[in-house]
Amino acid sequence: MEIIALVGNPNSGKTTLFNALTGANQKTGNYPGVTVSRVSGVLRTPHGNKFELLDLPGCYSLTPKAPDERITRDVLLGDQQGSELPSAVVCVVDASNLERHLYLVLQVIDLGLPVVVALNKVDLAEKLGLRINVELLSEELGLPVVPCQANRGKGVLDLKHAMRHPLPHPSRRKWQASKQTESAIHDLTAKLESEGMQKPSAHAVHLLADAGYRGEDQPALDPSIQSLAVDLASVCAREGVSTEEEISQARTQWVQSICKVAARRQGVDAQAGGLTTSDKIDQVLLHPVWGWAFFVGLMFVVFWSIFSLSEYPMGWVEMGIDALKQGVSTLMPDGDVKDLVNDGVIGGVGSVVIFLPQILLLLFFIGLMETTGYMARAALLMDGVMSKVGLSGRAFLPLLSSYACAIPGIMATRSMDSAKQRLLTILIAPWMSCTARLPVYSLLIGMLLAGYGAAVQALVLGGIYGLGTVSALFAAWLLAPKVKGEEEVSHFLMELPSYSKPDVSFIVRHLVERAWSFLRKAGTVILGLCILLWALETYPKPKEGSPAADDPALALEQSYMGRMGHAIEPLVKPLGYDWRTGTALVAAFAAREVFNANLAISYSVEEADDEDKFLEQLRGKLAKATWPDGRKVYTPLTTMSLLVFFVYALQCLPTTVVVRRETGSWKWAIGQLVGMTAVAWLAAFTVYQVGSLLS
Amino acid sequence: MIADIASDLKVDSAMTLSKASAGCQLRIRQLAGSACQRLREIGFCEELEISKLSDGRNMICSVCGTRLALSKKLGDQVLVEMV
Repeated sequence: MEIIALVGNPNSGKTTLFNALTGANQKTGNYPGVTVSRVSGVLRTPHGNKFELLDLPGCYSLTPKAPDERITRDVLLGDQQGSELPSAVVCVVDASNLERHLYLVLQVIDLGLPVVVALNKVDLAEKLGLRINVELLSEELGLPVVPCQANRGKGVLDLKHAMRHPLPHPSRRKWQASKQTESAIHDLTAKLESEGMQKPSAHAVHLLADAGYRGEDQPALDPSIQSLAVDLASVCAREGVSTEEEISQARTQWVQSICKVAARRQGVDAQAGGLTTSDKIDQVLLHPVWGWAFFVGLMFVVFWSIFSLSEYPMGWVEMGIDALKQGVSTLMPDGDVKDLVNDGVIGGVGSVVIFLPQILLLLFFIGLMETTGYMARAALLMDGVMSKVGLSGRAFLPLLSSYACAIPGIMATRSMDSAKQRLLTILIAPWMSCTARLPVYSLLIGMLLAGYGAAVQALVLGGIYGLGTVSALFAAWLLAPKVKGEEEVSHFLMELPSYSKPDVSFIVRHLVERAWSFLRKAGTVILGLCILLWALETYPKPKEGSPAADDPALALEQSYMGRMGHAIEPLVKPLGYDWRTGTALVAAFAAREVFNANLAISYSVEEADDEDKFLEQLRGKLAKATWPDGRKVYTPLTTMSLLVFFVYALQCLPTTVVVRRETGSWKWAIGQLVGMTAVAWLAAFTVYQVGSLLS
Repeated sequence: MIADIASDLKVDSAMTLSKASAGCQLRIRQLAGSACQRLREIGFCEELEISKLSDGRNMICSVCGTRLALSKKLGDQVLVEMV
């Protein structure tokens, strides 16, 4: 099926138009080797033609700064591995922002592909007093321009008509550069042609317009071509011509000249006239006092909702898991297979799936903040705080997502335009306490503060979240000078979209997609890990008639996992833990959430239907546990040391795998795992040993 | 020659966007610095009229009706004149 690519600036209404053009016929995948989602759908024209419509990540230009923008450029140049060169491009332009959005259109025209411009938000442009002569614009651009209003479905049919066969002819390059630059483009095109490269002139213009493109590693380009481009650009530079500067200036000049004749601002101009409603809202939400009060209040509501509202859906998931276990118990005969299915598969995967409601609730709030336009303001507010530790306000969204789960948080960094900032954010994200740590925190705080009320316990829980966050920011401050990146410090530059009603359908679609991807992960990576853990805890099986055969705690002690726990006891003893806790910690390195269940087996706690009852029983057993000399294992100091260990340790293999994929190197992934474990050990050691000395 | 001198004089009389007061209508005269291309791509083009809405660590400007937030350091790379 032929591919039509959909490109546009952020906030141009590209996704709304994509939904209007494809309806429910959408599928989401990944580009090979990267975690940027590949969203495509089937587009049917009224003439019966069928195309695959590819929704490319939004960008201001084809000179990428962030990894997702790079995908857009590479797909359009035909350089993206595993993706065919599109047959045509639909360029979505916000009519009320024509001057800003035409720059990207010009870059797309330079690619030499058939282009159709979707002139979206024409109603808004009219409201703002902007009159656009569509015929003239189309004539000047040399391509079809279709006015539309994607949010109301207006103009969508006309757009489909414009994509009938034969597709429109590619337009010609509009701008003209100096003699030196034109000659460099000519020489480079000839070289690319002789090498048999597709779209030689598009590549030539790009190589000269973007120093990054000719400098960075490009699998689709021969290094000799890149070095020729570097030479040609240096020749121009010696003659006082910067090819990048000149090409970008030529494009903007052409855009301005066309806007002068095809788009006229009349009557009330929002930029010249008074403040818009959004500006008035911003006067409060970006106010140094009221803005922060609103932000802190909002964060409180978000986290309160995550912890209190999610109880109900989590209960339902738990009931479902129990029912499933019950069903397996009655249907299957006793034996290894039943144990594997019940304890390994259902129990293990269930312990992860139970966090889905909390993750979805946080993502729901993030969706609300994004679609109403508040997220950009939150990033702007936070920029002031984050810049003090070498981070930008753009790191706010990934770090906020990491409170649900570090994986979506790390994946959200792909829209950050600074490689250094991105790496820093990825490195500290796991210290934002994710929901998987909550059951462990609940168990330990309940033990530590048994005599105190829920309010004190909640306060301590808040303090633990604060400890992780402050430590993460401190780590960013320490690491910032050490992480290599661009020489120039990346500065804050962000569009603040007008406030709008939340787009519920977008949020629901996004949540379904996230839930599906989480369940897929639970059914693959986590399932595999759970089976492995189960095997390590079950084998070697105790001999028939031996004491361990009737005692699950003893059987665990003799299993591979128990042996590992004993082996690492010298390492965990200085932290105040016995071999059983050590065993649970080893298991928790695959996924933190198995810690409680593992401890329960070690201390022979029966499973209970009610989570509170289970935790109560486990706390009771832990409180009675003693060392061989009769001293208690779980003193308040041990509990505090464990809490600190869980705040800092990176006990999540899927995160390490994602970090490897996002940073493209095992060096960072392993470094992060080792570094965080070392910090966790040292912090827990300090708490326990200093506490012991003082008490 | 005269046109060049006139242009130089205009640039000389220009100030940076960071120094301009909030609430002013401004015209961009020139972009000078390492982030020129990025600024141009997001909408800060030469000869364009913009208005500065607020000041601070990050200032907010209205460019063709869109609100753009940019840091002081970036504002220093945009030379403007009062309209």
